Amino acid sequence: MLTELLQGTDAGGFLLIQDSTGYCGRHLLKSFIGAALNREEVVHVLHFEVSEEELTDGLKGSHIQRLHFHNAYTDPLGWTDHPAFTVHQFTLEELAHRVKQTSHSKPVTLVIDSLSWVLRHQSPPAVCNTLQQLRKGGAVRAIIGLLHADMHQRGTVGSVCHLATSVITVAPGMKGDEAVAKLTKRSKSGKVMQDEEVFSIKEDLTVMVQSRPSHVGGRQNDAEEQETDPTANLTFNLRLSDTEREAKEKLALPFVFSREKKTALLHSGPGSGRILYEPDANDDYDQEDPDDDLDV
Amino acid sequence: MYTELNSILNTTPDSFTKGEFILVSDRQSDASFLVHHFLSLYLRARCRVLFLGLVQSFNHYSAISQRMGVSLAQAKEKGQLVFLEGLNESLSVLIPQETDTGSQAMDFLRDPSVGLKSLYEFVRSSLSSTGEGREGADDTEEWGPPVVLVDDLTVLDFSHYCRATVCSQLQGNVVMLTRCDGEEEEEDEGDDEGPERLLKGLTHQCSLTLHVRGLPYWLLHFLRDVIEVQVEVRWRRRQADGQYTQNKLFQYKVHDKGASFFARGTSSAVL
Repeated sequence: MLTELLQGTDAGGFLLIQDSTGYCGRHLLKSFIGAALNREEVVHVLHFEVSEEELTDGLKGSHIQRLHFHNAYTDPLGWTDHPAFTVHQFTLEELAHRVKQTSHSKPVTLVIDSLSWVLRHQSPPAVCNTLQQLRKGGAVRAIIGLLHADMHQRGTVGSVCHLATSVITVAPGMKGDEAVAKLTKRSKSGKVMQDEEVFSIKEDLTVMVQSRPSHVGGRQNDAEEQETDPTANLTFNLRLSDTEREAKEKLALPFVFSREKKTALLHSGPGSGRILYEPDANDDYDQEDPDDDLDV
Repeated sequence: MYTELNSILNTTPDSFTKGEFILVSDRQSDASFLVHHFLSLYLRARCRVLFLGLVQSFNHYSAISQRMGVSLAQAKEKGQLVFLEGLNESLSVLIPQETDTGSQAMDFLRDPSVGLKSLYEFVRSSLSSTGEGREGADDTEEWGPPVVLVDDLTVLDFSHYCRATVCSQLQGNVVMLTRCDGEEEEEDEGDDEGPERLLKGLTHQCSLTLHVRGLPYWLLHFLRDVIEVQVEVRWRRRQADGQYTQNKLFQYKVHDKGASFFARGTSSAVL
């Protein structure tokens, strides 16, 4: 499902990448930027946490002209005289205005790195409201956001997650550069799909989805079974020769009710015994059905 | 400067990664020896160093550095080191005197609403002045990239500004010490600025963390004289070759003039 999400977010979509101190989700975010650029989309990046150089590092040169940066990294709080973008400018009007400045007919994808910065300086309801209006108002086609989930209260993280159409939670994997992604996707019909995938990100920011973690265990077992053949040293024979098979097929099994067996049972021969029962006068014969109380 | 730690971190005074944000943290232990280490390392590496010492006096740092073979007073004279003595500065803010020529750096003590903007401005101005003003005055010395060391002041916004200015613009390094008290809590539902969340936020920003932790209580009883604590080294490299985090755990013992580091459980006194 991760490759599916990379291939395209729906119009009006909001994709959220959640990470923690254990694994940084920024590389996956960069993969999403690269994928959007490859789809000929115009991408606006609002970056608080890393410099422009760090973000462009690894992205291919040819598409970079469609990548627009809004620098909130050098001065997010307006401490210097000429801030490029401060966190207090994170409003619908300001963002819509900035996106329109480089107006193209092409759809615009807004990337926010990261929402944690905004959430620390604005109230969560205000941030959610801005995001929702951006998404619905048609100013941008899609929003991709990064969120450091362990920096906020659970309720704050939850309310942002509720807004998102797709949530990707990344966590470190078992091996060096592997990571585990837990994916939740809400389609417009209201159907919710969940999945878990192991992935790694290559140098050119392509995402390699390896397998689902639940399948990883199964595969390892298969490999082990191939190594050791349990039928190698048996004290009995597992296969049949043709004559043996013939003999086996001829044999009537005791539970198979053949015609001969049936007649032999129904018409007992002259030598067989019978049970005769004559009720005695003193017999204590119970009129009631003894099994009456059973629920049969 | 501990040579053993240098080899673990793969740095020498001659070659070290530029543009790094190093977070030093401790829990139920004391990581200040690492601050002394970085201070002497960068002074030897001929960097311009700005030290914001907010918990101890200049004499304290000076005495320890002397033992490690670096003279702070000399470095200060040469203009290599700028030392903000937080204790003195805050005193002059709280008890203003007429002869006071103190800087505006500690203004946040008087008016918390101002925030650390003034302290950041102090950082910025002193970095630019040591760079240009000094060179014009006596250009006998030329210093390498700037380094900011902060002993125990952790405010996320301030650290962000330091990183943006020093690491990204000037290609220098920042070292920050932060302390967390108490036990590690799995889920604290406190406010957003709690110490645990602060540490996590800083961890998201930095490229290298050194986390010093006290030994478990039961071990402490046996090993008090042998090992002090353990230090967890963790790299979060942001390189083109992809995400790369690496963890290493060491135990160490600080001696008079150095410190020895060893992998867990391999101290000669234990074996």
